[in-house]
Amino acid sequence: MNSKISFILDGKITYIDFNPANGLTPTTTVLNYLRKFPNHKGVKEGCAEGDCGACTVALGEPARHRSGGVENDRIRYKAVDSCLIFLPMLHGKQLITIENLKSADGKLHPVQQSMVEEYGSQCGFCTPGIVMAMFELYKEHPNPSRAQIDDAITGNLCRCTGYRPIVDAASHACTHNGVDHFNTDEPRIIEMLKSIPSESILIKTKNQQYFRPATMEEVLLLKQKYPDAIVLGGATDVALRVTKGHELLTELIDISGIADLKIVNETHSELAIGAGVVMNEVRKSVEKNFPALHQMLNVFASNQIRNVATLGGNLGTASPIGDALPVLMAYGSKVELQSVNGKREVSLNDYFTGYRKTLRKPDELIASIILPKQPNGVIVKSYKVSKRKDLDISTLSAGFSLDLDKGVVKSIILAYGGMAVTTKRASITENFLIGKLWERETVEEAMQMIDKDFTPISDVRGSAEFRMAAARNLLIKFWQETNTK
Amino acid sequence: MEKMIPHESGIAHVTGEAVYIDDILVNEQLLVGRVIYSPHAHARIISFDLSDAKKVKGVHAVLCHKDIPGHNQMGPVIKDEPVLAENEITFVGQAMFLIAAETEDQCREAEKLISVEYEPLDAILDIETAIAKNNLLGPPRKMERGDAEAALKSAKHIILGELRTGAQEHWYLETQACLSIPGEGNEINVFSSTQHPSETQTLVAEVLGINRNEVVVEVRRMGGGFGGKETQGNHVACWSALLCNATKRPVKIKLFRDDDMIMTGKRHRYLTKYEVGFNDDGNIDALKLEFNSDGGAATDLSFAIMERTMLHADNSYYIPNMSVTALVWKTNLPSNTAFRGFGGPQGMAAMETVIDRVARYLHKDPTEIRLKNFYGTETRNVTHYGQKVENNRLNLIYDKLIESSEYEKRRKEVDEFNSKNEFYKKGLALTPVKFGISFTTTFLNQAGALVNVYTDGTILVNHGGTEMGQGLNTKIQQIAAAEFGVSIEKVKVNATNTSKVPNTSATAASSGSDMNGMAVKNAIDTIKERITKELSTIWSAQYSINPSLQNSILFKDGFIFDSDHPDRRISFADAMLQMNLRQVSLNSTGFYKTPDIGWDKIKGQGKPFFYYSFGMGVSEVLVDVLTGQHTLLRTDIVQDVGDSINPGIDIGQVEGGFIQGVGWCTTEEIKWDAKGNLMTHSPDTYKIPTVQDIPKDFRVQLLEGVPNPIGTIRRSKAVGEPPFMLSLSVWLAIKDAISSVANHEIEPEFSLPATNEVILLAIPKLKPSRFQRP
Repeated sequence: MNSKISFILDGKITYIDFNPANGLTPTTTVLNYLRKFPNHKGVKEGCAEGDCGACTVALGEPARHRSGGVENDRIRYKAVDSCLIFLPMLHGKQLITIENLKSADGKLHPVQQSMVEEYGSQCGFCTPGIVMAMFELYKEHPNPSRAQIDDAITGNLCRCTGYRPIVDAASHACTHNGVDHFNTDEPRIIEMLKSIPSESILIKTKNQQYFRPATMEEVLLLKQKYPDAIVLGGATDVALRVTKGHELLTELIDISGIADLKIVNETHSELAIGAGVVMNEVRKSVEKNFPALHQMLNVFASNQIRNVATLGGNLGTASPIGDALPVLMAYGSKVELQSVNGKREVSLNDYFTGYRKTLRKPDELIASIILPKQPNGVIVKSYKVSKRKDLDISTLSAGFSLDLDKGVVKSIILAYGGMAVTTKRASITENFLIGKLWERETVEEAMQMIDKDFTPISDVRGSAEFRMAAARNLLIKFWQETNTK
Repeated sequence: MEKMIPHESGIAHVTGEAVYIDDILVNEQLLVGRVIYSPHAHARIISFDLSDAKKVKGVHAVLCHKDIPGHNQMGPVIKDEPVLAENEITFVGQAMFLIAAETEDQCREAEKLISVEYEPLDAILDIETAIAKNNLLGPPRKMERGDAEAALKSAKHIILGELRTGAQEHWYLETQACLSIPGEGNEINVFSSTQHPSETQTLVAEVLGINRNEVVVEVRRMGGGFGGKETQGNHVACWSALLCNATKRPVKIKLFRDDDMIMTGKRHRYLTKYEVGFNDDGNIDALKLEFNSDGGAATDLSFAIMERTMLHADNSYYIPNMSVTALVWKTNLPSNTAFRGFGGPQGMAAMETVIDRVARYLHKDPTEIRLKNFYGTETRNVTHYGQKVENNRLNLIYDKLIESSEYEKRRKEVDEFNSKNEFYKKGLALTPVKFGISFTTTFLNQAGALVNVYTDGTILVNHGGTEMGQGLNTKIQQIAAAEFGVSIEKVKVNATNTSKVPNTSATAASSGSDMNGMAVKNAIDTIKERITKELSTIWSAQYSINPSLQNSILFKDGFIFDSDHPDRRISFADAMLQMNLRQVSLNSTGFYKTPDIGWDKIKGQGKPFFYYSFGMGVSEVLVDVLTGQHTLLRTDIVQDVGDSINPGIDIGQVEGGFIQGVGWCTTEEIKWDAKGNLMTHSPDTYKIPTVQDIPKDFRVQLLEGVPNPIGTIRRSKAVGEPPFMLSLSVWLAIKDAISSVANHEIEPEFSLPATNEVILLAIPKLKPSRFQRP
């Protein structure tokens, strides 16, 4: 196992060996690492929790096919929040900062030029992050639609401009088919990236062990040996324990280097999504057959977060809210767990056993999430109620599935998040509805049953009264959206 | 003059080269400072022990109030804010101790070793409790015109009610930050993110017990201010200066986001009571208002803010009989402070609520009521505090906006949509803004500048204003270039520095460009006077038959020339070299004080404002009745900025201010728990607008062809704050949508911000319908 990591910064391979002298640890964030350099102070800390995007940088890595294979002729650029990325996660990637955007002759990058011309900056503090978010847009979405621009910028808070000039800057800049000086350098960078072996890494410091296994066999053995180790995929949740909680995390297993976990496998009957597949990839994979999940992922966190956060992580944290969980439940999803002793599948219905507790045994790893394709006629919808529409954790969320037989409810799933200590189905209400006509009067009666299913709490995101009222109303909304009459 | 030039720091912003406090390169002696704050809303400090914390490796200083060499005070007006708590703590987040160490981890380790024994005391955490306990922060104030009581008695209709408007966190992207570097002897250099460098300098000197001439405060730029750094930048500066003084090493404090949100004050929340009397046509004859603000634990600027509330309680309307009472309450929360609009938004929210209610009561469109009650031009044109509303542009803007926004047509469409849809409702509202420009504390209306011209023809402008993103330095650069007749590239605007321009006012009250622009022009006029005098001497000597008149010498396109004899010309750069050779001084200070204002605070009468800025907005929203979520479909704004110096910058202020207001009106909700802890202490739970929250269709225009008739710099008008309040159009559009659920027959329960929770819970009370339980 290697004890140092390699990545590309400023066009050169950079090695970090985490010796005590350089003050770097495996949980040092990329933001804090960069800000140690006099020439990398463009990256800013605005919140240290991935909610403002001031720390946005881009990561380049060889583009990947959906089957997991690597396209060797192209780099895929992704904007990420550097405050939530641990240094070892950079291994084998190209790190691109705001200082890298000007070309060698000092000419501004088109997105920079456009931001200046459109008055896209006022105080300028959020600007490097916005430019980097826009850089991904420039490279990956030529001639973007307004929706694509909004999506790219949602993860960046600006308190000065009101965003309109930023949207205009993006729209005017991203018209060159993604061509810029990075294209010229790409073959060289690809060669350099290839030269970095995708080997297993173990970083041991005085009080931390950070494993970055390269294969399934290794990770399962590690899980057996270190059952209490924290498993991280994109670290968007775990990193908060460092950046906000100032915890010392002693044992970590980083699964982001395992190709087997990044596979999306589709058969005629189901879609199996590897636990390490990032949300943006999940979003693409489910667009056709699982539109309700797709819709939920459209308002899931921000592009920066979705570029690294994984579906496995969303399940792994077992948050009572977990935006994507109710709709996964509505689709009748299963969790595939794996240990050295083999694999097993558990219905998501049964998976959560208590507040942040699940059926997963300590030596098991979430390997994939399996979504059964829905039979004809089954309708699935997802809902999110949050104070702010985007980049906000739900006050409550819901995933509903309905199968009607001549207007009568044959089966129904009403899964709610934010209403109990786990994602939970409204089983009393479901049972009440089964066998009844799917009509407004019935649904209005059913709305009153919700009170028997849930006793939500009041917290900073909303009162119990509000949660109950919205939870009830979502039923009538579901009825309205499924009522074909 | 060149108008559409980009932001002076635009290139530095987009390349990441712009330097903020945390980016200043400092030698390896730099220490990290950390502020240890109170965990209780109200408690007596029985004892504390810092000895273990001081032993931590890498820790260079752990300070308490006893270690302050000068005054333990940092209140800007009233001295009621200790730098570090002594015997009592009065809010969660109050500074108690300071630590300087080589790393942040060492600071945190030391922090854990500080032990404090408290005796918790009863805390007042809301306005109601403060009222019940009569815990006023200062004497109440009143402003009156006519006899509101009598007029209410004789009014045909009376409505009374209460309105709550919420607090708002500034959420400047760059948190409070300061770097202090020790100099020789007592000297200290303070690099601060402050809107008020002179006050920062004053307080640092007082806290350290040294003279002001030993303190230099410099501000290159702030990563946003919005009022949040008008007084509160001082705090972090005092703390870092104390640690710097104690260690004789550079010390930087940059507040962690959550700490910034917990420790610093916010926009004042208000509880406003109103009683309005009006006739069948909607003419308002009498209005009684009582404003109650939550001042927090100390005075800060609360009374000036409340004064502006009182002065904007009329918004754009002439009300013959008006009585405004104002009370500022003391609570155990961080001292609330300046925030864009400075009390104006709270006053206008009340007035606009009154209009909205009158309209609903009379079954009329609120726009009709607004138009009817606007200030007149010849009559009905004096405010309740006695200032005449001159150059009134309300009707001009109204006509323009009603037409450009297709208000009438859309009103019909909205009503039609609502009659056809049960689960989605649309709302539409127009609101005006008349905003008074000037500090109401009259002496603050002064500004200074220092302009240096160098012999290569380049110009360095110093002024007392600070750049926080609003484009002040861009406008100053344009003004200087235009006055000297040179291109923009020849002018550099320096970092604001108290050793260059002393005794300045805060960059606040939208006055930055008005006042500093004039001070810069004044300095330039002095220099130009010397240059033209010398050139007329030179040219008159050369052409003795036909001498050059000093007044005919002009500056244009990089040249200085005699307009009577255009062949007598010299390039600006050559002229500067000549001037230097001929011993002419090429630098000058400049000064400006706003003329023609006067305000009797005691009587509440006079002319507090140099002029008014006017604007109007129309917003349309779509509300999801089942979830309480709303979408802002379209906003049209017309804003009067006089003759704009830089339309790109000004539109940026209009749009940015408006969206910040939309946040205040909709998603930005501040919550404290029962013990006075801020629950919404990070962007995870405190939601400012994202790009997705701006109007889907956003049409902003500046009123054109209407230069400011009074003598402002280049006939422009202030723009920083007024557009903020146009967001009330969004808030009332939401109310309009909710109200349509009951066909506008019932007054909805409503408050500000209109969160999805407020919206959703208002609906069942309007219409105990089948789908929602009463």
